[in-house]
Amino acid sequence: MGKQADLIQGTLDMLILKAVSLGPLHGYGILLRIQQISKDRLEIQQGSLYPALYRLEHQGWIASEWGESENNRKAKYYRMTAAGRKQLQAEAAKWNRMAEIIGGILETVPEEL
Amino acid sequence: MTIAARLRSWMRATRNRSRMEGEMEQELRFHVESYADDLIRQGVPREEAMRRARIEFGGIETHKEECRASLGLRIWDEFSSDVRYALRMMKHSPGFTAVAVLSLALGIGANTAIFTLAKAVLLKTMAVPHPERLRLLTFSVKPEFNINGWGNWFRGDGGERVGTPFPYPVFREMQQHQQVLEDLVAFKDVYKLTATINGEAESVDGELVSGNFYTGLGARVIAGRAISPADDTVSAPAVAVISDAYWAKRFGRSADALGKTIGVNRVPVTIVGVNAPEFAGAKANATPELFLPISLQPQVIPDRQGSLLSRDTFWWVLLLGRLKPGVTNEAAQEALRANFLNPLRATYPGKGDKDLPRLLLGSGRRGLDMMKGQFSEPIYVLMGAAGLVLLIACANLANLLLARASVRQREMSVRMAMGAGRLRVMRQVFTESMLLALLGGSAGLALGIAGQNIIPNRFEASWRTSSIRGEFDWMVFAYALGITLATGLLFGAAPAWRSTKADLNTGLKETGRMTAGSGRALLGKSLVAFQVALSVLLLAAAGLFLRTLVNLKSTALGFNPERILLFQLDPPRTRYAGKQRTALFQQIEERVATLAGVEAATASAEPLVADSMGNGCYRPTDRPARSNREDMAYANSVGSRFFETLGMPILYGRGFTSRDNQTAPKVAVINQRLARQLFPKTNALGRSIATCSGDTPATFEVVGVSADAKYDNIREDAPPTIFVPYLQDDEPWSITYEIKTAASTASVAAEVREAVRSVDKDLPLLEVRMQTEQIDATLSQERVFATLTGGFSILALTLAGIGIYGIMAYTVSRRTNEIGIRMALGAQARGVLAMVLKETSVLSLMGVALGIGAALGVTRLVKSMLFGVKPDDPMSFVGAAGLLVIIALAAALIPARRAAGVDPMQALRHE
Repeated sequence: MGKQADLIQGTLDMLILKAVSLGPLHGYGILLRIQQISKDRLEIQQGSLYPALYRLEHQGWIASEWGESENNRKAKYYRMTAAGRKQLQAEAAKWNRMAEIIGGILETVPEEL
Repeated sequence: MTIAARLRSWMRATRNRSRMEGEMEQELRFHVESYADDLIRQGVPREEAMRRARIEFGGIETHKEECRASLGLRIWDEFSSDVRYALRMMKHSPGFTAVAVLSLALGIGANTAIFTLAKAVLLKTMAVPHPERLRLLTFSVKPEFNINGWGNWFRGDGGERVGTPFPYPVFREMQQHQQVLEDLVAFKDVYKLTATINGEAESVDGELVSGNFYTGLGARVIAGRAISPADDTVSAPAVAVISDAYWAKRFGRSADALGKTIGVNRVPVTIVGVNAPEFAGAKANATPELFLPISLQPQVIPDRQGSLLSRDTFWWVLLLGRLKPGVTNEAAQEALRANFLNPLRATYPGKGDKDLPRLLLGSGRRGLDMMKGQFSEPIYVLMGAAGLVLLIACANLANLLLARASVRQREMSVRMAMGAGRLRVMRQVFTESMLLALLGGSAGLALGIAGQNIIPNRFEASWRTSSIRGEFDWMVFAYALGITLATGLLFGAAPAWRSTKADLNTGLKETGRMTAGSGRALLGKSLVAFQVALSVLLLAAAGLFLRTLVNLKSTALGFNPERILLFQLDPPRTRYAGKQRTALFQQIEERVATLAGVEAATASAEPLVADSMGNGCYRPTDRPARSNREDMAYANSVGSRFFETLGMPILYGRGFTSRDNQTAPKVAVINQRLARQLFPKTNALGRSIATCSGDTPATFEVVGVSADAKYDNIREDAPPTIFVPYLQDDEPWSITYEIKTAASTASVAAEVREAVRSVDKDLPLLEVRMQTEQIDATLSQERVFATLTGGFSILALTLAGIGIYGIMAYTVSRRTNEIGIRMALGAQARGVLAMVLKETSVLSLMGVALGIGAALGVTRLVKSMLFGVKPDDPMSFVGAAGLLVIIALAAALIPARRAAGVDPMQALRHE
């Protein structure tokens, strides 16, 4: 396991939306999914996942309902709403543009100035 | 979209809070346990797995709190805990809570009631579309221009006379030619019509309206139809529209009322419609029951000189119109002036345009508004007084809250030490003051609604039904809510600000009572001084108004008003005209005089001290008339026993007898003032006087000179007055009987009613009252002022007492230590007592000085409402100051004695 990177401020919401966009998940499942997609390269404080989930649901981007987990326990499942899908697209577009700009700046070499 | 989502989510969370908490707990536990299970599966021992899962998850309670914050629950939680806390504090100090809620309730209640009154008489507009574009037509005229008419006059801004009535032919001409108004309508309120329904006669008020009145204004009827132009012709069948109130009162809202024929001054008229409840005609605060086409004037209220509709020089109808959209006031006024001058040039051919009346457009949003002139000033005074009371209550509460805040300084310091932000602490203090304000405000609103008609009723004569009705509506509610919130902010601001100034270190280190520095005491003392100043202002005003009322009541009237019963008769002219009318009046006068319990009876065209009078220009026959003003005299037509009945002394010559009738030579009695005016150097008796104008001036022989007596009001000196026998009048208008009763008056009114009925059973007795009640009614404004400012002053004094007690008790307790040291060093108990009282005196005297200064500036504004006192009346001012100083010292006596009773040993050990 390589060194984990701290999560950049404000990106947790986007990651949760992305995780949920692939199918309904409970909170712990979302954590696992993010770790799996990121190949364990991101450090997420487990508890801080929940205030973010509550915030996203409060804003209507995800919805929740109680269901059965893999080991037959009651768990709260989150799924993406239509508004959430739009939000994810917008966030992703913004992120990509930002990354491109920042990347461009960082790759600048002296001769180009 | 997201706002709706948030609201839904918030509602869900707050509606079932315990379920939401349970689910949150379950969800987090599931996470921790699932993670632990995974660790166990990787071979970690169970105990260790659970421990690691918990650690990696982080503080469960912190995360829960963050989740709640995510749902917007945090503010709610804090708010509800603040409210709970505030309620607990209130319960712990019931005395303080009672003072706070009660003083706010009285203050807010008084303000609400007065606002309700103000809304009714100043703000309420006519219930038709676009009242803001309505214009009432008026005109200004030079004093030389003689106008014969019937209507209301104002004094304009430039001192010129401004009239409201117009000749009917001028209206027709203007209505046809004008282009700037949607339409021009005419109306005239007529009072005391006799309506006969199913054989029963009663007195009602009516409004004559032009045929285009309803369409022109856009007034609604709720049953039947409105009056139309077709009804407003001489040959049309007589119709009427009745008010909703009259429909309910007389016909129980039955549909049978439509098509019913009733007698109006004995003219048969068919009811064709009912007005909408909110529409009460075109005169503000009037409530006419019958609306008749103006074409009925010659039949319903005939004039002996013929129809008013065709007279070019009789000014009587009121004109109202709505500006066309986009037309400015100036343009409309300019255009209408031309329309107005055209007919006048023909009627008054000798006059140039400059000498003719000038048309003016006034606001018509309330129709013809006689209330505004009468009530706007008094209402500002009342609002000012009520506002002062509320300010005093605020200052008082701010001070008491400050004292409490300093007691709680330690608690605030603890809260802040534990991480509460300044804003958070301020919010908590504000919650408390807002809660107090809202409690006081709700009680005040209830008081205001309950008492909304108390003040208007005091303004009007006791024997009449009130024409001003306070109505509770959203505006009143908004006003009450507004002042409640403003009040809460005002008295909560100082304590809230103060609470965050707590210095953590000293706040925690020292004991509660020693904490606050002199800053808090200074703030409190300034508040008390301010409160005292406002109270002095209120008290001084109360003194002025009280003295005004006393002065007015003790003014010499020049006649004896005791035990005199008054009532008015206004028989329909359609039944009694000319000589018949005089004969009827005389017959009733004689009949009433014979009743047991009646000492003497007489009658007069104008009742005394009833704000109404007749006047004219009179001159000695041997010289020409001077200006209207120099030869102006008030006139009254009276019965033969007028002077005896009213106890008005005849100084020279004689009064009237029943022999001074139509066939005898015309005679007059003049009062001393008129005698001096007309015959400055010679004896007036036996001289003859004449009216100034008219083709054939009437002449009278002066047969007596009476002592001066008040006529239309008691504020002004007795005016120069001429009395003539009503028996010699051509045709008396209405008449008021004055009946001097023996000791008991109660039964006399019933006997009189019976006597009048035996002469004509269809004659209603109008305005039955005692002469003393009549005089009191003209003093209603003064009485309202004296009572309200007096009542407010008592409240202010009570609050000042509480405020001073509060601040001195606080000061003493804060200085227990110092006082102990002083006493240990040899200070006497008496000296300590004097010290506290001296501090109180300085404090209250500062407030008094400030208040007197403010009062000197403010009372000048009410100068015109005073009588017999100057606005800087020393007695009122010294009285106010003295009363406050006494109250202040009395209130400080308890803390002062507590200070004097301090045991030095105990006080020092206390440290």
